[in-house]
Parts: sequence; C-alpha cells; structure tokens
Amino acid sequence: MTSSLSTDLVLILPEIILAAGAMALLVLGAFRGEGSAGLVRFGAFGLLIAVLILTACAGTGEKVLGFNDMLVVDGFGSFMKVLVLIGALVAIPMSVDFFRRAATDRFEYPVLILLATVGMMLMISANDLITLYVGLELQSLALYVLAAFLRDDVRSTEAGLKYFVLGALSSGMLLYGCSLIYGFSGTTNFTDLAAGIASLEGQGAGIGLVVGIVFLVAGLAFKVSAVPFHMWTPDVYEGSPTPVTAFFAAAPKVAAMALFLRALTVPFGEIAAQWQQIIIFVSIASMLLGAFAAIGQTNMKRLLAYSSIGHVGYALVGLAAGGEEGIRGVLVYMAIYLVMTLGTFGVLLVMRKDGKAVETIQDFAGLGRSHPWLAFVMAAFMFSLAGIPPLAGFFAKFYVFISAIEQGLYVLSVIGMLASVVSAFYYLRVVKIMYFDAPEGAPLELPFPLASRVVVGVTGFLTVLYFVVPAPLVTAAGAAAKTLLP
Amino acid sequence: MTVTALVFYLFAAITVASGFMVISARNPVHSVLFLILAFFNAAGLFLLLGAEFLAMILVIVYVGAVAVLFLFVVMMLDVNFVELRQGFLQYLPVGALIGLILLVELLLVFGSWSVLPEAGNLAAARAPDAATLSNTDALGRILYTQYLLPFQAAGAILLVAMIGAIVLTLRSRPGVKRQKISDQVTRTMETAVEVKKVQPGQGI
Amino acid sequence: MFLELLIILAKIFAIILPLLLAVAFTTLLDRKVWAMMQLRKGPNVVGPFGLLQPFADGLKLLFKETIIPAGANKGVFLIAPVLTFTLALIAWAVIPFGDGIVLADINVGILYLFAISSLGVYGIIMGGWASNSKYPFLGGLRSAAQMVSYEVSIGFVMVTVLLCVGSLNLNDIVKAQETVWFAIPLFPMFVVFFISALAETNRPPFDLPEAESELVAGFQIEYSSISFALFMLGEYGNIILMSAMTSLLFLGGWQPISLFGLLDWIPGPIWFFAKTFLVLFTFCWVKATVPRYRYDQLMRLGWKVFLPFSLFWLVLTAGFLVTFDLLPVKG
Repeated sequence: MTSSLSTDLVLILPEIILAAGAMALLVLGAFRGEGSAGLVRFGAFGLLIAVLILTACAGTGEKVLGFNDMLVVDGFGSFMKVLVLIGALVAIPMSVDFFRRAATDRFEYPVLILLATVGMMLMISANDLITLYVGLELQSLALYVLAAFLRDDVRSTEAGLKYFVLGALSSGMLLYGCSLIYGFSGTTNFTDLAAGIASLEGQGAGIGLVVGIVFLVAGLAFKVSAVPFHMWTPDVYEGSPTPVTAFFAAAPKVAAMALFLRALTVPFGEIAAQWQQIIIFVSIASMLLGAFAAIGQTNMKRLLAYSSIGHVGYALVGLAAGGEEGIRGVLVYMAIYLVMTLGTFGVLLVMRKDGKAVETIQDFAGLGRSHPWLAFVMAAFMFSLAGIPPLAGFFAKFYVFISAIEQGLYVLSVIGMLASVVSAFYYLRVVKIMYFDAPEGAPLELPFPLASRVVVGVTGFLTVLYFVVPAPLVTAAGAAAKTLLP
Repeated sequence: MTVTALVFYLFAAITVASGFMVISARNPVHSVLFLILAFFNAAGLFLLLGAEFLAMILVIVYVGAVAVLFLFVVMMLDVNFVELRQGFLQYLPVGALIGLILLVELLLVFGSWSVLPEAGNLAAARAPDAATLSNTDALGRILYTQYLLPFQAAGAILLVAMIGAIVLTLRSRPGVKRQKISDQVTRTMETAVEVKKVQPGQGI
Repeated sequence: MFLELLIILAKIFAIILPLLLAVAFTTLLDRKVWAMMQLRKGPNVVGPFGLLQPFADGLKLLFKETIIPAGANKGVFLIAPVLTFTLALIAWAVIPFGDGIVLADINVGILYLFAISSLGVYGIIMGGWASNSKYPFLGGLRSAAQMVSYEVSIGFVMVTVLLCVGSLNLNDIVKAQETVWFAIPLFPMFVVFFISALAETNRPPFDLPEAESELVAGFQIEYSSISFALFMLGEYGNIILMSAMTSLLFLGGWQPISLFGLLDWIPGPIWFFAKTFLVLFTFCWVKATVPRYRYDQLMRLGWKVFLPFSLFWLVLTAGFLVTFDLLPVKG
C-alpha cells in the first residue's frame, strides 16, 4: 500500500499544492487580520502560476490511474486543468479593483477561489462517481459562497441563496442517478463500469442504468447551465459580483464540461446510442434558448448569461457527435470560449459609470467615440461570440459543426447555425449601441485597473489574431481528445 | 425470524409515518421533532442490517448535533409558516404530476429489472471481507485505503463550508469590550492597587 | 423464547431498581456533601441522618397537582420529562458492572453511550420551548448550545481512549486498563472529560440552563409535581451515568487496584461502585466549591480551550502510538 501511496500522491501533486497552499494562506489571513488581503492574493496568484506550470509541463499525457482507480491523470485532464487554472488565475487580480471599491477586500476570496479550483481539478480527474461528486461539491460550495460574497448587497445574497438551493437540488438528482447506476452495475468506478458495459456485448443496457444516466446528465447539465436546467444562470450571473461572474462563466463551465465528457464517454461510451439523443435535445434547446431569450435583455450580465447558455449548447454539439473529432471540437470550443468570456468581463470591469460598475447595455453608448480602442476590442469580442470569421469564435463553432456533420447530425448542425445567426442579432446590437447611440447621463469613467487592462489586452489579442496560428491549439486539443478515448 | 421482521416493519412504518408528519405538521417545531423521530428509526433500520456503527453515528451526528441546531434555529425564527404555506395548493397539481412521472419511471425501472451481468463480481471486488471483520473495522479499512482521496476531499468540503459560514456571517463590531483572560491573569498587585498615604485632615 | 424474554426482563429490573435507589440517595448525597462543606448539617429530620428524605421528597411531589400552563404545547410539555428520564435509564444497558456482567454486550457500546448522552439535550430544549414562557425558553436554548459544545470535546476524549484500546466495546475498554488506568497516561484528557461531563450534565459550575439568579429555574420553571420529579430523576440519573463513564474510561471500571493482588478478592461490581461513588462525590464537591461560570466564559472554555486541546492531544496520542508501534490493532 505505502509504495503505491507515494506514487498516488505525486499524481495529485498540483491539487495538494493548491489545497495546502490555500490552507496556509487561510491561516496567514486569519492571524494577520483585515489587512492581509493583498498578501494572500499575491500568494494565491503565485500558487496558481506554479501549479499552472506544473500541470502544463508534467506528465507525458499518458493515462495513469491512481488511488485505487479513483482518479485518472491524462492529457485530456491536463488540457482542461490548464484552462481552469487560467480562469482562476485571471479571476484573482481582476477582482482587486472591484472589491476595493465595494469595501469588501477580504482575504477569503482568493482562498475560496483556490479551493474551488482544487474541486474543479478533482472533477476533471475523477475516475469514479464518488470522486466526481466530492470534487463537484467542493467546487460548488465555494462558488455558492463566492456568489453571495457582497453580503450586504441584496442581489448578491439572493444570487448566492438561489444558486445554493438549486445547486443542492441538482446535486440530489446527480446522487440519485449515481445510486441508480451503482445499483444496476455494482460499481461506481468508471473503469469497472466500462468493463461491465463491455460485457453486455452490444445488447444495450437495461432501463435502470439508463434512468441512472439520465439523472446523472440532469445533474451535470445543471452545472454547465444547459437547458432545461439553466434557470439559475441569469439571476446568479446578474446578482453576483462581476469578477465572480467572470469566474463562474469561465472556470466552472470548463470543469463541468470536462466532467460531462468524461462521465459519458469513458464508462458509457459503448452505449452512446442510448444517451446521444438526450445530449442532442439538451444541445438544441440550449442553443435556441440562448439565442432567443437574450434578445430582450438590457442588463449586460444577464445577456452574457444567456449567451453562455447558448455556448454550452454549441459545445454539446461536439459531445453529441462524439468520437475524437467531436471531443476535440469541444476542447477547442471551451478554450476559445474561456478567452472570449474573460475578455468580455474584463471590459465590463474596466468601466464605471456614476461611481458604480457598468451593468446595462445602454451604458456602453458612445464608447466608440470616447474610447475607440476599448470599443474596438469589445466589438471584436462580440463578433467573435457571434461566430463571425475570421475571429476566434468562428473557429470554435467550425470544429464542433464539422464533427457533427461528419457524424451525419445534419438537423443538429442546421439548427445550430440558425441559432447562431439569431444570436448574432443581440451581439451586434451591443456593437451598434457602442458606435451609433448617443451617451446618456453621466459620462463613462475608465479607472482602467491594471489587471483588467492586461486581461482585456491579452484576450483581445488572442481573439483577433487567433486565425494566424490556429494549429497549436487544435493539435493540443486533438492529442488531449485522443487520451480520453480508449 | 419473525421478531426481526416485526421490528423491521415497526421501524419502517414509524419512519414513513414520521416522514409524512414532517411535511404535514402545522407547527415547524413539531416537524423537526418528527424529523428526529424519523432519523431515530432509520438508525434502527441500520441496526437491523447489522450496521451498528452507522446506526450510532447517525444518532450522534444527525440527532445529537445537527437536529439540535436545526431545532434551535426553528425555535428562534419568527416565521409564520401557515402564511408561507398559502398558495401551497396551487403548486400541488404540478408537484403531483412530477411525482407521478417519477413513480412511473421507477415502476418501469423495477418492472424490467436488468442488472449488468458483471454487477455481482464488480461489487464484490472492492468490498472488504465481511465475514472476518466487524463493520466498524471494515468501514475503517475501506475509508482509509480504497476511498482515501474522496475521504480527504470531503474534509476539504467541510473546511469550505466553515469558511463560507464565517465569511457570510461574522461581523467584527467595533467598540465591544471583551474579556482578556491573559490581562486578568498577568495583573499584579503593583499594577492593580495604588497605595496612598493619607495625611490626617487633608484628604487626597 | 418466552423464558428468554423473562430473563431479560429480570435483568432489566435488576439494573433499574438499584439504579433508581441510587438516584434517590444521590440527591441526598448531593445535599449532605454540600451541607458538610458549608459546615451545616443538611437534611437530618426524616429518618436516621435524614436517610428517608429522598422518599419524603418523592411522596410530596407525587401528591402535588400537575400544572400545565395554559399557553403550553401540551404534548411536547409532557413528553419532555419522560424523555429525559427514559434516556437516563436506557443508557445503562451497555454498562459493564463486572467482567462480562452487562445487559447488552454490543461492540459499539461506547458509541451507544455517546449517542444516548447526546440525546439528553432534547428533554431540556423541548421542555423549555413547550413551556411557552421566556425564562424556560432561554434556559433551553442555553443548554442546547452548551451540550452541543461540550459533546465535541467529549467525543475527542473518547476517540483518544479508543485509540489506546482498539475496540468500541466497553468491556474491552475496561480490560485494556489491566496494567494501568487510562487516568494516568491520559491525565489531561481525564481532566477534560471530567469537566466536560460537568457541563454535559448541567452541573455547577456550568448550571447555566437553570441558573436561579438569572433564569429563576431555567427550563424547569413551569414544571411541577411528577413531571418535575421525572426531570430531577433523569438529571441525577445522568450524573451517575457520567460518573460511571468516567470510571469505565479512565479509572479501570471493575478492575481492582493491583496492590500485588492483595485486593483482588473484592468482586468487580464493588470496585465499579466504589469508583463511581468517588467520581460522584467529586461532582458534589465541585458544586460546593466553584462559583458559576458566566455564559461567554463557558463557551470560550468549550470551543477555544477544550476543543483545540483535546484535538492536539488526540493527534499527539496517535503519533505516539504509531511512532512506538504500540497500536492495539495492527494491519
């Protein structure tokens, strides 16, 4: 036991560093008191960079099982972990200015981000329903608290409470699904499950197992906010503090999507025909709702919430298509989505109006004239989210739809493209307001906090110039996708 | 064993009945008390299964600690639950429909009972040998070997819950006088009492 | 089948009747010890040395009218004292009076005791709430917080003992103390346990739930007659139970003091009784000596002193046992 324990510990070294670091920073913060937020933030940032480098460099991408097959480390996991770590890394400095102005610059924020990241990394590496659930809860619990972080703000607390109640409900469904799966297969382990399903020899699983999978998918769909489990998203996105919303839209989505991919393809890959139509339905519904419901929105954060629902739908197209191509499409999609989302929220965080954070779309009016560069970057993000070539967002959609068409899912692809045309309407409306509407009320102030400026700059650069060298991301995603499949 | 069966039905019936009372009792405190009764009988069912460790832990953790705090909060809250319940009936059809669908699904599941052919072997492969160990022993062995990682991660979850509770509720009120034990203990005669010689007829 | 049932019933009576007697005389002991320490005589009118005083008290309470306040929640109000009393009795099912002399020799005995003693709070909180009156309610809430707080450190103390024994069976725990009583190597834990036991049973200096100077009589205010008597019986039953637990966990239970085997002829139950009595006397002694804690001090002691300390000692004990390879169960 002991010899294998040490190799196991090396496997989750990044997670251990993050968790132990978070606890050390927590103790530091607790002893140093109120004034320690800056120090703790700095420490957390350093830890995340260290772990990011470690995760990106370590391992050959080979599939290694650890902790009695409870955990798997492979290229797919490393790819997703890098994305999650980038999301977390950006969320910490981006929050500084916002929380200082809200007078809630507390050391718990970076600690909670770190612990949530540990949870996400566990989710991504989960090779067992129990590890999956534990990682998911670790992540979710930290996120509930983060949503309510501005505890004197009614909307923030409401967001936290809504997220918590609905999140608990979805965890319940997930667990119900897990218990059904365990009951009908005798194991919670992905490897064992795959072996057990292989022993069916193509006969198709019984209805009990399928109902279990359905509940599992329902729970996971909640976490990625796919229709019909999306109801919480607009409210939570709107109410949470903006940096936290940026984090929500980025890292947990990536992690939950990774979980979605692994939990369906690894153990249940053999019976893909039995769950594929669920994913197709969820995907179509998400794309359509994301396209149509966002049209009427006036609040930028709500608009981005619906936009994120739509994007989850597009990403799920790749999962519905399945196979190496499809998974590669999802990976590329999530990577590009992460960059675009962080950038858009970065723009939101850069601006203030009337001494408050910018919220409504109308606040953007006149940005084109007063701050042409910022407006240009924002327009680039909007075009990219809409999927207009040659921006990055186009490539993201391109890869998932290609894989869907290759699998013969024509209806899905056509609906997806139509939805993307509809959604272009509201993205372009933002651009129109920026450039052609006259500003009302107080002028926009741009305190330009350094961190958000850097984020906007880098993500904008990546979004606009992605088409120059698309190959590295696609190659990396392809290699990662290969390790997920047996 | 007829006695075991009788005891089982007793526990099971009380569990279900008190579960029903939890949602139907008018007084929220009564609801919590029925919840406690339900926990208690669930512990009894564990005992019948031969899982005495789980039974005791259920009583200690849920009944002895969690439910006490629950009761505490419900007693302190000034919420008119009758008022909250108004309009409860209007959701009843939807709720009943969802319940019915779930029931049909469950019946379908049980109707075509098909377990994976390998299920028995898979379940046995990772379980400790029940014949040679008491269940406390078996639980300990499996928790610290097979399930070490989730067990530790569960600890992290509890830590997050604790941080969350503190972040969301703890407020440092300025100007509160607190007892400082160390100051009290380190106080000496010299620092506490000042001796003055009072001259007669002059005062201080 | 029927005979078995009869034997079990007989055993139960053999435990409960002496127990009830012991409870009755504990009330007397309490008052006598207290009086002696204050240079008074205590109850000395009814019977020789006041020996019949408990029965006189009992009879008096029995013949009083049971008063139920108009605003009280009747059902809960009446269940509360019964619950307290019942819990104080059923815990005795697993207490070993001598080597193997025990009603139910279950292998999670110590957890059973812990579970039952953690339920004791319900009688108090239910009584306090159901009285529908301010002081009882405050008393009930105080006691709930207090008992939950001190249960935590009691739990850690128990785990420390369990580490040294390797079994949850009470008989095994006593047997493990054949060479040395745990009170010696685990002395700090012994002290923590004893003080926590005082808090758990709402005894002075931790009798905040019924602090007469602030809460009149706490949760017992509205109770009268037999329901009050049941509360009292339950409370004293719990005190004896805690004393018995202290002697089982730390003082070697029914093990004789090993004076080169000189005292081995005295039977186990007598040793057990003597040790329990000693602890009981200390309970009374503390009551007479120590002034009552303030509520915030009580909470501070529980959470900021005992909890970290017992946790530290637990880790220390575990480390010690692992380092010197002394773990009772290996592999």
